[in-house]
This record gives sequence, C-alpha cells and structure tokens, in this order.
Amino acid sequence: MTTAAETLPARPRPSATSRAWAFVRRHALGAYALLALAYLMLPIVVVIVFSLNQPAGRFNYTWQQFTLDNWTNWDAVPGIRDAVILSLEIALLSTIVATVLGTLVALALVRHRFRARGTTNLLVFLPMATPEIVLGASLLTLFLQLRFATGFATIFIAHVMFIISYVVVTVKARLVGFDRHLEEAAMDLGANEWVTFYKVTLPLIAPAILSAALLGFAISIDDFVITYFNAGSETTFPLFVWGAARVAVPPQVNVVASAIFVIAITAMAINIIFQSRRGRQAKGIA
Amino acid sequence: MTFIHRHRWLAPLLLLAPGLAWLAVFFLVPLVFLGYQSLESGSFETGYSFTWEFSNFWDAITGYDEQLIRSFLYAGIATVATLAISYPLVYWIAFHGGRWKNLLLLLIVAPFFVTYLIRTLAWQNILADEGPVVGFLRDIHVLEPDGRLLATTLAVVAGITYNFLPFMALPLYVSLEQIDARLLEAAQDLYASKTKAFLRVTLPLSAPGIVAGTLLTFIPAAGDFINAQLLGTPNQYMIGNVIQSKYLELIDYPAAAALSFVLMALIMVSLLVYARVVGTERLTG
Amino acid sequence: MNALTRAELLRRAAMGGVVVSLPGFLAACGGGGDEAGGTTAAGTQELADTLRFSNWPYYIDRDPNNKQKSPSLEQFTAQTGVKVEYVEDVNDNATYFGKIQGPLSQGRGIDRDLIVMTDNSRFPGLLVAKKWVEELDKERIPNMANLIDAQKSPPFDPDRTYSIPWLSGITGIATNLKASGGDVVTTMQQLLEDPKLKGKVTLLTEVADTMSPIMLENGDDPSKVTDESWNKAFDRVQKAVDAGQIRRFTGNDYVADLERGNIAAAVSWSGDVATGLAANKALRWNLPEKGSDIWTDNMFIPLEGSVPTASEYMNFVLDPKIAAMIAVGSGFISGVKGVKEEAVKLDPESANNPLIFPDDEILSNVVQFDSAALNNQTYIEQWQKLLGA
Repeated sequence: MTTAAETLPARPRPSATSRAWAFVRRHALGAYALLALAYLMLPIVVVIVFSLNQPAGRFNYTWQQFTLDNWTNWDAVPGIRDAVILSLEIALLSTIVATVLGTLVALALVRHRFRARGTTNLLVFLPMATPEIVLGASLLTLFLQLRFATGFATIFIAHVMFIISYVVVTVKARLVGFDRHLEEAAMDLGANEWVTFYKVTLPLIAPAILSAALLGFAISIDDFVITYFNAGSETTFPLFVWGAARVAVPPQVNVVASAIFVIAITAMAINIIFQSRRGRQAKGIA
Repeated sequence: MTFIHRHRWLAPLLLLAPGLAWLAVFFLVPLVFLGYQSLESGSFETGYSFTWEFSNFWDAITGYDEQLIRSFLYAGIATVATLAISYPLVYWIAFHGGRWKNLLLLLIVAPFFVTYLIRTLAWQNILADEGPVVGFLRDIHVLEPDGRLLATTLAVVAGITYNFLPFMALPLYVSLEQIDARLLEAAQDLYASKTKAFLRVTLPLSAPGIVAGTLLTFIPAAGDFINAQLLGTPNQYMIGNVIQSKYLELIDYPAAAALSFVLMALIMVSLLVYARVVGTERLTG
Repeated sequence: MNALTRAELLRRAAMGGVVVSLPGFLAACGGGGDEAGGTTAAGTQELADTLRFSNWPYYIDRDPNNKQKSPSLEQFTAQTGVKVEYVEDVNDNATYFGKIQGPLSQGRGIDRDLIVMTDNSRFPGLLVAKKWVEELDKERIPNMANLIDAQKSPPFDPDRTYSIPWLSGITGIATNLKASGGDVVTTMQQLLEDPKLKGKVTLLTEVADTMSPIMLENGDDPSKVTDESWNKAFDRVQKAVDAGQIRRFTGNDYVADLERGNIAAAVSWSGDVATGLAANKALRWNLPEKGSDIWTDNMFIPLEGSVPTASEYMNFVLDPKIAAMIAVGSGFISGVKGVKEEAVKLDPESANNPLIFPDDEILSNVVQFDSAALNNQTYIEQWQKLLGA
C-alpha cells in the first residue's frame, strides 16, 4: 500500500564483517562437529595407513613405503592367526548365547509386571557400570577358588556375562516402543501365543536383536581387560596385541584391526540403511 | 499352553531365569568370592587362609590412597572433557543431521570397532616425542624444546577421554534425539532467544542423557589401567594398575581383592546416590 | 661362588678354541638315526610333532633376510623333524611367572614344552621348589658335558635336574644419542640425577639388574646385600622416581621406546642393542663405569611339557656349533665350551665382540646378585610398591 512517494527506508546493508560473523556463527556448530569427528577418526586413520607400511626394522613407527604385503601375508606373524580365530570363535559363541538370554530377559522386563522388576533392572545394569577390572578380577577369583581351569571355557563364560547387559538394554529400548496392537490383531485372528510370537513379534524386533548381536560381537572381539584375567594360556587377538606391544607391533596387527573395523562398520552401516528403508516402507504402508 | 495361562506369573520367571541365573552365578557370586578372598591372609609361597583379615582393607586404603584419589580425579576430568567435546557434536547430529543422523552416529561409535589397545597404541605413536604432533607444538612454542606429550598426566587423561567418548555420546544422543523440535519452536514463539531456548528447554531435557553418559563414562574410567600404562609413568598409575599388578604379577590375592572391593564400594556409593536422585527406571531406561 | 664364576669365565675366555667333547662331536656330526623321531633305548616316549618354546625377545639368531625365521630352529627341524613354535612372550620374569602360575599351581600345563627364566630372579628357585617343572631326560642330553664349569651347578638346581642354561648377559646402559642431546650415558648417577635426562630414562623391573649397578656405584657389594646397602640404593631410585626422572620401569619393552627416541637412556641388556637395534645408528651401549651384574637365563620344561622333545632340543643347543649360531646371532654370552672357535668360523668379527666374549676387564667388573636378597619379603614388597606407585 505504499505509493511511489512513500518508500520504505532502505535497510542498512550488513557490513562484510558482520556478514562473515553471521556465516561463522551459523556454521560454527557444523565446523566443530567436523573437527570433532576428525579427532575421533585420527587414530583409526593412523592404524589403517600403517597397515600399508613396509617397516624398515621390527618397528612400525615411521612411514617407509607403501606395500600390500601385510594384507596378503596377514598371518606371517606366528600366533596371529590362532589368536584371530580364537577371538572370532569366542565372539560368535558368546554373542549367540548372550543374545538369546538377553532377549528373553528384555521381553520379560518390558512385557510383564512382576515384583522384582526394579531389582532385575539393577542387576542387569550393574555389570555395565562395574569397572572391567573388578569384573575380570572377581571372575578369576571364582575360578581359582573352584579350581576351575582358565582357558576357552572361562573366556566364554566371562564374555557372555558382560554382553547380556548390553543386549538387554538395546532390545529393551526397541521393545518399549513396540506396538502391541499388531500382536493383539494376530491373536484376534486366531493365532495362539507361540505363533504370534514367531510370526509377528519376532520379525518386528529382529532388527533390534540384530543390533544387539552386532554390538555384543564387537564388544567381545574387542575385550581386553576381562579376557586378560581369565584367559589362562589362551591368546585372543587383543591379548596378542598386548604381547606384541611389549616387543614390536607388526603391521599385520594393524591389518587385522583395520579388517575388523571395516567389516564391522560396513555391517552396521548396512543395518542402518536397511532399517531406515524398512522404516520408510512401514510408514508408506501405514 | 493352558498351564502357562493358569500360571501367568510363571511366564516372566521362565524368561528371566536363564539370563539372570548366568548373571547371578558369574557376576554376583564372584563378588562374594572376592569378598571372601579379601579377608584372607598369607602369601603366594605360604598359601592363603581365611582369617577375617579386615586389615587388608585398611592397608589398601592407606597404602594406595594416592592411586585411588588419582583414579577418581582422572576419571572425573575425563568425564567432563567427554561431555564438553561430545555435547556440541551430538547436538549438531541430533538437530542438523537430517537423513544422515544414524550414519553420523555410526562415525562416533566407529573408534569402538578398533581394539581398545590398538587405539591407545595409535595415540602413543601420534604423540611420540619425535613425532609430528610434538614437533609442531614445539615449533609454535606451546611446548618447550625438550617438552613431551607422552608419559604425562595430560596424555593419560586425553587417552581416557578419547577411549570413553562414545559412552558419553550415545546416551546424550538418545535423549537429545527424543526432544520434540516443536518445544523449541514454542519457546522461540514465546520470544526466547536461541541461547535461552537452549538453556531452558534443551539442556534440562537432555539431563537424563547427561546423567547416564556420566555414569557410563566415569565408572569404567575409574578402573582403567591401560591408558596409564601405555601413555603415562608410574606417577600416573591408577588404582587399576595396582590391582592388575597385584593379581597377575605379585600374586598377592588378598590385597588385590581388598583393593578391588574398595574401588567397587566407592563406585557403588556414587551409583546409589545417583540412583536415588534420578530413579532406577530413568537410569536403566 | 662369585669368585668362582669370574674365574671360570676368565678361564673359558682364555681357553679360546678348546676341546670339543666327544659326545658333542658325535652329535654335531649328525650321527645316529635315532635322532629323528624314533624311540631311543632310554626314552620310551616319542618326540612330539611340535616343540612349543616361550622365550624372551631378541634372544635367538635370525635370518637377516626374513626376521620371522631362525636358522638354528630350522636346522633343528631339519635334523629331527620336529617343528618349533617359537613365541617371544616373556617380557619380564615376574609378569611371566604371574601368568603361568595359575595353571601350574593347579597341576596343569601351560601349553609349552620350554620356557626361559633368569637366575637373578627368584622364579627358577620357585619353579623347582614347587615342582612345577619336569625333570630332564638326561639320557637325551649327552651334550650336557659341554657346559662350562661355571654353569654346571647353579644354586637353584645343583644337579641340573630341571634346567639347562640358554644364554648369559650383562646389564648396562643403552643411550639414544639423538634423544640425549649427543651425550653417552655412562654412569648410574647420570641416569638417575642428570636433569637433562629428566623423564627420558627407564629402569628395569628386575630388581637385580637395576639395583646392582647402583649398589656398585655406592661402593657396596650386590652379591652380599645388607639392609643398609639395599636401603641406600633404594632411596636413590625412589628419589629419581619422585623427581620424575624415571619415565617407567620396563621389561624387555624398553627397546621400542629407545628405538623411537622416546627415551634417552635405559638400563638394558647387553645383546639387545647390539643386534636388535643394529639398524639404528644413534644407539650406544656400555657397561656402567662402576660395574653391574651378570646373569644367566635357563630353560625349563613346565608341567605337561614334552620331556623327550624338550630334552632333545636342549641337547641340540648344547652343541658348540649351534650354541655359536645362537650366541653370535643374538649378541649374548654362551655357556657352552668351544663356542668361540665355532663363532669365529661363522663371523670372524664376533670373536672381538666383548658382549659375546667378554674380556677380563668386563668380567672383573660384573657380579652376580645375591640370591638370598631376591627372596627377602621386605625387599620384594618395597620394590613392588615402587613399581606400582
């Protein structure tokens, strides 16, 4: 409703510095985030880069030259192959057992009301909140007092013990948001509880169980402290690294670590992409 | 089937039984044995016997008070550091991450997938005396010409911070992600500035995440020994180093058990205080 | 005991190329088909497929073109058909013992046929006293006669029922010239008190190795430790730790830090620098001015280790030719007669290497640490407190 005569006063053009400052402020958070992520990635990059290094002597500290030898001969170092295989075996076995046990516990905690709920919650949470050194030391004490030989079995027992808590927490988080109506609908249609569980519930919580299993697997492969106390004369990969660190860490150790990292990240990334796609599909249907 | 229907109360028990049994036998019972062992006396050569040796606890506290205090101090500083570093990062991902949220979160967790030891060894390499980082810091005179980063308190605390960052970041993310953006809009509609909206709305709503993250970071950090061993000197040794050495090198089980118990007890106390303040459901989700 | 050791070592060194004993000669000729995996008249057990051997790092000869291979081990395999699984997982005596005592104390084996521990720690004595080691099959070890007199009867195993010496060595000071600013560190006083080296010095976790040179510098005798001499030396170490002079206490892992330049000076073992770090030109090793200790590592067969296989191997390494390979390859001192002559054939320079064939001057400057002091509970606790603090 302005006429030609009534022009609005021109807004003063912001100065270059204040524009720059506004730009910085807007993107400061993003820039910080990128810096923080770079900081997180730095050691990983170093590990991967040095896996491609051809060390001059025994020590892999300075960059000499690029080589793929370490990757092709990853088991050239005595003991590394057995250590990796043992770690994988333990991780697989303990993850499976812990995931089953943990999922059952999570189901109970979310679906049912019972008196000891608070205590159970606490019991499940405690191992996560106890320093690993206490967990490892106390288990060792148990085995010593019972004169039970430390070795594969004890490592397995220890790993299941501390993975259960993580599984419960992960699965519970997903179960809490679970829509019970689907189950009720299935039962209204004549399915009994087992069939409902098998055909409706399980497929829907499968992603959560899978996430929990992946998490458990990663924790098991990585565990050092608790395994250190309870391994006896067995050597898992982290224990092998500890031993190697006393002498000289061969590049093959970097290779195995990088490989585990790449595989784990890829698996998780696929899981995430898959889940988001499913999520979008589900929204599409609903 | 009808048996279960009639005895509905059995259902949760059956579900819980195997998992809880495992935890009870391999988590609780060992703690009892730990207690038993902490009251023993004797040495490796002469054998151990149960003698209600309460003095073990007193010896543990007085003999290693330095390491105990140091452990809690380092863990505390590291926890604050992880909070400071991860909060803005996680905030950015939660509010500005968009479609890439989960993948970005994966990047935060990524270090987790490289063995803890190797991460710490990588830092040992990065911070080496003759390495690029120290060289650069010497050039710009932040460090003295013969200064170093390794074998210092700074390195140990930095190592702990780095290694436990995901434990702080993840719970923080969970609580920040759940904040409804509309609340923030509402606050701004009510003339709150961005800063005020953050302080009055976002921060309080993220409190459960901060609490959970703090616990998940502080407690394991207090018992850590690897960072001190690889990045520090005996002057930085934490209680974890002492316990480790007493168990596996000195074979002095009663003293080691007593120390573990003292550490555990101190942590339990703080945990119970927190649980009271926050409520177990909030704490354990 | 002390004088005997020195005298015996002197004699051995003076003897130079000496008589090769007859059984040893026969074994060296590769005589006898009963070497290769069959039953001998004495042994009713067969040799195992694999010999599992735990040893210290940098302690065996290595193929210069392939660091993972060892010529002496390969020769053993060629001669007997037994593969060797060689693991360098002994970093320091106390830690290794702590690791193996769990299963051993319950009468179980540790998946090893041979382990190596040092006589200047209390562990060989403990292993024997607790019967955690198997008796050797002496009928398979005729080469035992090749042992120099000084090694024939150690205090922890007077009849050599359980052990055979591997290599001996001397403790000294290694310097990384780049990190130390060009100065070679030659005295414990420099190590412990020179402010230029603050925070760049490591000591060994082994009591005997760290305390001996300090005691000698104090004018005391490490072979006869008294409370007074112990406390005097201990206080010096404690002061250095408190002042931040000492970066850390290490087992064999000082080598990595030294190589990297993170430390300027380390109390270290004679052969490590000589061969383990031959590539790095900035490294030096020398005996402390006032002397230090000499020690011997010994091979034991832990419970459930294969006695025939291990005994066979022990016999193999007691052959002067093999002993020479190992000594020259690792840079340490052999306890076998006739090694010098064989060593010269392998590498003429080696005869002049005082670390492998110590001369009188060096030998008169080293002592063996008092074994009674190793078992003194008070000292042990004090030392551990120091390490853990």
